[in-house]
Formats: sequence, structure tokens, C-alpha cells
Amino acid sequence: MRVLILIPAFNEAAALPGLVAEIRSDAPVHDILVVDDGSDDETRALLPALGVRWIRLPERLGPGAAVRVGLRYARQRGFDAVVRLDGDGQHPARLLPALIEPLMNRRADVVIGSRFTHARRSPSTPRGRRVVQRCLGMVLTILTRGRVTDPTSGLWAFGPQALAVLAEHHPSGYPEPELRLFLSRNQLRAVEIPVTMRERPAGQTSLTARRTSAAMARLIIHLLVVPLRGAVRDRT
Amino acid sequence: MDRLQVAAVAISIALLIGVLELVRRKKLTEEYSFVWILCALALLGLSMARGLLDRIALGLGIHYPPAALLLVVILFVFVASVSFSVVISRQRQQIDRLIEDTALLDARLRELEDAARAPEDEIYSKSTVEDR
Repeated sequence: MRVLILIPAFNEAAALPGLVAEIRSDAPVHDILVVDDGSDDETRALLPALGVRWIRLPERLGPGAAVRVGLRYARQRGFDAVVRLDGDGQHPARLLPALIEPLMNRRADVVIGSRFTHARRSPSTPRGRRVVQRCLGMVLTILTRGRVTDPTSGLWAFGPQALAVLAEHHPSGYPEPELRLFLSRNQLRAVEIPVTMRERPAGQTSLTARRTSAAMARLIIHLLVVPLRGAVRDRT
Repeated sequence: MDRLQVAAVAISIALLIGVLELVRRKKLTEEYSFVWILCALALLGLSMARGLLDRIALGLGIHYPPAALLLVVILFVFVASVSFSVVISRQRQQIDRLIEDTALLDARLRELEDAARAPEDEIYSKSTVEDR
């Protein structure tokens, strides 16, 4: 199984070199693709020097679109699976085998790393945010009829089936909750595996107050609308 | 015809001519002019046929018929705005798609150029994980 490690990055010049080095040492067999989502820091100058595959979006389209581009790239280049790691380095590369394993055994089409499968509350997550995440997790669990404990996790592995569909239909914006709904609507099997993530080691989160509220507003609409949409047809 | 009616008819005709002129000069494409032409014609019809407007007003319980005309105008503006939002959304999707395609083409071109200079294996580690 050819696996591509996809790193969507917006202004992550501080974290990217360390992350790439970590993947190289922990999972040297996999190809790495960085999708630069229109960064305006040194990320742009850094990319060619990293020695990895890279795509630069000329404008910022948001993480969802950056992932979609990466999935399209993976399809074009004949990869069978894609693992998405956040560019800030909060996802340790040593988690990769555990994420890929359910895809290889065909137990799942999509694997999501969850911080909250067992722990009541992760110490690194602020309480207010955790409450919102838990409520959202419960709503998504009901709507998707699958267990959703970490609705905003950015650690994903996509198998061949999912890759084929999502290269065209991966949602835009901050896509994670909508993606859960989409997968369940399109009969793609998603499983969560327990993971421990790190504190963001360097750089700034792209989630400003404005983007968070916009994402929340979008999410409320998605919760209402995505279950009412039909499944996508072109499953080639 | 009272003064209000004359003004309403004049404005409707001006709107219609204005829209057609924009289409003639290709500042407005036919598909987007449609909603405006429809709007202008409806306004024209309502301003000329006072009886029709009166009946609509009566039916809706509006005591001052020209207020019904205002209601119709507001409805049209609302419909037009929604249709523009649809257009903007579609264009946003098209622009996103173009940006994505540009980026993918750029990457492909760069990789082809790199490969032309050196075999791809020397640029990227291209190993695969065997199925277990």
C-alpha cells in the first residue's frame, strides 16, 4: 500500500522542518506532501528546501480545500492511502502505523485519531472548548450512528475507497465535523483510534475568533443539511 | 393617472430600458439580466393596471394600494439578492477549483522539470509499504 503523508500548512514555517524530520525518522517509508495554504510567512521559501513533495495554493482556501488538493494529488500520483497530519506538529509521527493498520486490514475506509476515546478530559484542552466538543460529538454520534468522541481531530487516514470519493468531495473550511456526516451519508466506514497528541510546539493556530465563529455557523447549517443531501454518485 | 402612477410607470420603463442597455453594452450577461427584466415588467404591469394593484392590496388587507406596490418591489429585491448569492457561491466554487487546479498543475510542472534534470528517485524517497 503506497501511503502519502499529507500536511496542510498555513504559516507553519516554525514547525514544519521539525515535523518533516520526525516523519523521516519514525516513518521513513512514506512520501510526504506539504500543501501550503497560501501562507504569508517563511513557509513559502522553506518548501523547496525541505526535500519533500509540495503544493502551494496561491490564495488561502482554508484547511478543507488544502486537504482536498492533497487528496487529488495523491490520486493523480497513484497513492492508495493518505494520512493527514496537522502542520503544527501536534500529531506525533509515531502514530502513523496505528492509523494505517485498520486501512490495511480493510476494517475501515477512514481512521481518525481521537484524543478523547477514554479520558474524561484531556488536560491540554480548555474546559469550555471541551464542553462544545463533547456536545458536538454526541450530536454527530447520533447523526452518523457511529462513535464520535473527537469531532475536531485533524488526524485522519484515508483508504482507497475514501480517497476516490474525497479527492472530489472533501468539504471546505474547517472540514472535520462535516466530513464525519459526509462519510456516514456515503457509506464509508470510519473508526476512531485512541491517540495522545502534543501541545502545539511552535507557531500560531489559524483559528481566530472570527474563523471559529464562522466555522460554528457553517457547522450548524451542515448538521441540518448534510444528512438531507443524497450520497455522491461518481464513485469511480 | 395620478402623479404617483405616472412616476411608477416612468421608473419601471427606465429600469427596463436601463437593463436592456446594459445587456446591449455587454456589461450585464443575458442570464443575469433575466431577473431584472422580469422585475421591471412586473412593476410596469402593476403601475399601469391600478385595478390589479387595488385588488391585490384589498386581498392582503392593505388600505393604501401603493404600499402593495412597495411590498412587491421589496419581494423582487429579495429574490434578486438571493439569486446573486447563488451566483456568488457558484463563482466562489469555480474560483476555488481554479486555484486548486493551478496549484496541482504547478506542482506537476515542477516535478516534471525536476525529473528532467535528475531521476525522480533521487529527489523523493519512493518506497512503498507492502500489504501485510
